[in-house]
Amino acid sequence: MIKFKDISLVFAGGSVALSNISTNISDGEFVYLIGPSGSGKSSFLKIIYKDLIPTNGSIEVTGLDVNDLARWRIPLLRRKLGIVLQEPKLLKDRTVSENIGFAMEVLGFTPGEIKIQVSQLLSLVEIEHEAYKYPEQLSSGQQTRVAIARALASKPLVLLCDEPTGNLDPELSSKIVVLLEKINRAGTTVIMATHDSSIVNRRKKRIIELNVGKVIRDEDRGRYNISGNN
Amino acid sequence: MQKFSYVARDTLLNIRRNPLLSIATILSVVVSCFLAFVTLSGKAIVEENTSRWQNGIHVVVFLDDRVTTTAHKQLQESIQSYSEVRDVQYFSKEQAEEEFRFLFQDQQELIKEVDFLILPTSLRVNLYDPSNYQLIIDRLQGNPAVREVRASGEAIQRLLDMTSTLILAATSFASIIAFAAFILIGNTIRLTSFAKREEIEIMKIIGASSLYIRLPFILEAILESLIGSVVAVGLGVGLINYISNPEFSESIFAIQISDGYLLELTLMIFLASLLFGLVASYFGTRKLVNV
Repeated sequence: MIKFKDISLVFAGGSVALSNISTNISDGEFVYLIGPSGSGKSSFLKIIYKDLIPTNGSIEVTGLDVNDLARWRIPLLRRKLGIVLQEPKLLKDRTVSENIGFAMEVLGFTPGEIKIQVSQLLSLVEIEHEAYKYPEQLSSGQQTRVAIARALASKPLVLLCDEPTGNLDPELSSKIVVLLEKINRAGTTVIMATHDSSIVNRRKKRIIELNVGKVIRDEDRGRYNISGNN
Repeated sequence: MQKFSYVARDTLLNIRRNPLLSIATILSVVVSCFLAFVTLSGKAIVEENTSRWQNGIHVVVFLDDRVTTTAHKQLQESIQSYSEVRDVQYFSKEQAEEEFRFLFQDQQELIKEVDFLILPTSLRVNLYDPSNYQLIIDRLQGNPAVREVRASGEAIQRLLDMTSTLILAATSFASIIAFAAFILIGNTIRLTSFAKREEIEIMKIIGASSLYIRLPFILEAILESLIGSVVAVGLGVGLINYISNPEFSESIFAIQISDGYLLELTLMIFLASLLFGLVASYFGTRKLVNV
């Protein structure tokens, strides 16, 4: 599904974001990408959806060679991926339904398809009762759920979540993780970047730990110990 | 179809969100297109008149009536043999009278007073290059059969020089205004796209292509350019119709533009404004929209 081979990323100023990363993520996996701030988690995810281009190495995502992917074909890659950022980035002047509908409209769905699928997605992320509310009327956790629903609009093969629980309290974070696991059980590969050790240690999933741009640990059912001791 | 309806709706929404900016953009397009239209029309009018003058009489040689008609004929043949001369026509006293009567048909009093016998016979000379009129004057100086030589070349040259200067000034001014309009369109699109940066960011991450994200902005720029150019062409055609009114057309210029040229000019202005909108919107959205 996703293959990193000797991926390095060095920014123009010379700072190293990623260094010689090689790893595979298979279909249907749930992977926590962990590490402190600045360890390279966001860069790892951005390379997958070609928001950043590695300076070295090669990467394959859902059968596409991302390095060789022409600029005009990047949207084709992104339609196979769902992307959830720390900030939900919802359109303030549109309701929850319209926010999801907007994404589907952009992707070319018909009004009939949008109506049916928006209702299914809202039900999946458990905010069907908030459909006609505006983002400002929602809690942070609900806003994250809308962002997840929007990311699922294209029926992606992989869901990339860049610290979606970063602004949430532990209880809401836990609910979001439960939701992501539910999505994963339905067959979508999920990669979630986080520095929240409590989530990782409770869920017992595969972890890829980064530090200063290097993979220092890649374990199934791994734990995340902030002090560095496993 | 669904995508098209989104693009069309979003284009109109963009314009409605910034009405003042859109109006300013349209006005600057109107001014630049109007100037371009007037300049190009003026150029066509000058070319038409120049061509008329070039096919007309450039030098008039008034003949001394005391010299025999044989001498007149010899002089005509001699002038005809000059390499600069295309044609020489003999103009008799009767033709001179007819011309006088035509030119002063509104002044019957004057016609009654004139003794037509004093009108001289003349040779009307048409040159290949009207600017060579001085060569002809020099050659005929001192010729006993010649009473006086008059050339229209100098006056025409002065007029052409003045018109060329005017066209150059109008072209420069139109170019400056066009550049300002270009910057204004680009800036309007940049502001509109900046106001929609969150929407654009979302579109990028869900997999919309650059072209699709850009389309509403491109359409907005094209629409504003086209509205501006339609108004400008309307004003230009109105102006031409007004000045080609008989009151004005009695002046030294014949203010006439063929329908074919007018259509060509209109299409050219529309096409240029279309291109203008396309390029300006490309530059206006370049930084924000690229996936």
